[in-house]
Amino acid sequence: MIGVAVAPAPGHGSWAASLWAQLRWELASLRVFLTLLVAIQLLSGVGFAIGIGFFFQHIPVQAALFVATGLPTINLVTLGFLAGPQQIAGLKASGGYDFIRSLPMPTSAYVVSWCLVSLAAGAPAMVATLVVAAARYHLSYQVSASLVPAVVLVVATGAMLGLALGHAVDKPSLIQFVTQFFFFAVFGFCPMALPASQLPHWLETLNLGLPFEHMAVVVRAGLTTGLASDVARAYLVLAAWTVACYALVARALARRH
Amino acid sequence: MSLTSAEAVRGPAAASSGWGLEIDRLTKVYDSSVRANDEISLRVEPGEVFGLLGPNGAGKSTLVKQLIGLLKPTGGSIRLGPHDLVADPAAARQLCSYLPQAPMPIESLRAEEAIRLTGAIRGGLRSAVGARASELLAELDIEEWRKTVGLRLSGGIRRLVGFAMVVVVPGRLVILDEPTNDVDPHRRRLLWQLIRRLGEEGSAVLLVTHNVMEAEKSVDRLAVIDGGRVVAEGTPSALKAADRGRMRLHLMLAPGKPTPDLPGYAAHPTRAGNNLVCVVDETLTGDAIAWARQQVSDGVAEEYALGATSLEDVYIRLTGHLSANGAEPTP
Repeated sequence: MIGVAVAPAPGHGSWAASLWAQLRWELASLRVFLTLLVAIQLLSGVGFAIGIGFFFQHIPVQAALFVATGLPTINLVTLGFLAGPQQIAGLKASGGYDFIRSLPMPTSAYVVSWCLVSLAAGAPAMVATLVVAAARYHLSYQVSASLVPAVVLVVATGAMLGLALGHAVDKPSLIQFVTQFFFFAVFGFCPMALPASQLPHWLETLNLGLPFEHMAVVVRAGLTTGLASDVARAYLVLAAWTVACYALVARALARRH
Repeated sequence: MSLTSAEAVRGPAAASSGWGLEIDRLTKVYDSSVRANDEISLRVEPGEVFGLLGPNGAGKSTLVKQLIGLLKPTGGSIRLGPHDLVADPAAARQLCSYLPQAPMPIESLRAEEAIRLTGAIRGGLRSAVGARASELLAELDIEEWRKTVGLRLSGGIRRLVGFAMVVVVPGRLVILDEPTNDVDPHRRRLLWQLIRRLGEEGSAVLLVTHNVMEAEKSVDRLAVIDGGRVVAEGTPSALKAADRGRMRLHLMLAPGKPTPDLPGYAAHPTRAGNNLVCVVDETLTGDAIAWARQQVSDGVAEEYALGATSLEDVYIRLTGHLSANGAEPTP
């Protein structure tokens, strides 16, 4: 009955059509920023992969492999986790948020489109970082099929965390503050490109419940053999965070004050 | 724009009747116990352009946000055709198109692209959406900006692109919040023609505005809201009926001069800048003109004008505010 008003023909107004329309909207909205972000990610990922070698006279192959397989996680979550909430904060501050919320877009299609955009933003830098690190430190990866679900889950978790933060917090200034706090906290103190055992015990314990170390674990497990441990638990923790954040996003988008 | 447009993108059912908006005793009380909407009851028929007028803080935005499912009413009901929009806010998003007063978020989107993508998101047929987007760009005379991104558009052109985004696949209810803001007079006229045509194509149009003068020429019926309540409702002519037999006296005061003491027969005095406006009974126009001439002679005023009352005078009487510039009534 509802569809009569706006989606009269069979096949139109379907979930897939909504996803395609939303994906085009996101890509067009981010066309300048996305190009810039991919370029920055390529430079920072490759730069970090090369630069880490300057800290040591000789870097052991296993250490280089650990760092190299941790860096792609940062590439994969940067747009979804960090840029996403900033974009939503901007919409809330400018008044465009009410218009976006008034559109008949299924939450699942919106979320999937954002995950695909996040993947598109992170994948080139991920590949470049891995290739450059392999060349610089003479590494060889043991790529397995599990890399695909690992990348999908990491992108989804990062995007969900960002969307949950952006939609569930009302004040744009608070969203921006929290995002910037996370930028330093996550990339400075979460064991993605460094072993958790190097951290103080309390921080190591805290990270067991947070998703970031587990993101690196599942990606590393798809690229190496024997370098990642507790992989099953990592998948479970990431799945739990993804589901919980999706529920939070759905609730926030359906919320009526 | 013939059948190609609204009906083509919405389907033939668009023209069917029975899709009126019915608001019954709608009440919204915020946490601070402010009654932003207080038992508002309205009905907007399909094909009707209905104006919602009121000063800032009157409760217009609160009402609109309940219609599109962003706010939950404290009490009352909202029905659009067979749908209960309070119980089913997802239906509200399907059935209502909404142009907010805030700028549209299209900084990186090209004008035509933004219109087409919104049409796609609203479930429109691709070919029909494309044709209607082209028609809207032409009829609003903004074709030369079709490839320009929102960031480079002037406020008025961006407003018109926003309007086209909202009506490319019009809902059963189209809500337009100050659609003519920043729009130049030529395109403003084109915009009003398209708003009228939306009604003819079967949508109910709810027009939220401060601009009483424009609304008077364009709406079929209107309601004035103040303090969260409907203080008047009817056709522009019916609302003006109470002021029949009265004239509007407009005095342009000399710069820096205080408001002069008004004669007792001058009703609803309002000052905005150097403009002093009041209403006088037409049997007393001779006295009013003599008084106004005296003000000019004394140097208090530079000129005066006497004319027929308008809907704006009704609005001032009802709310104590001038329509578009937020002036306050004189003490």
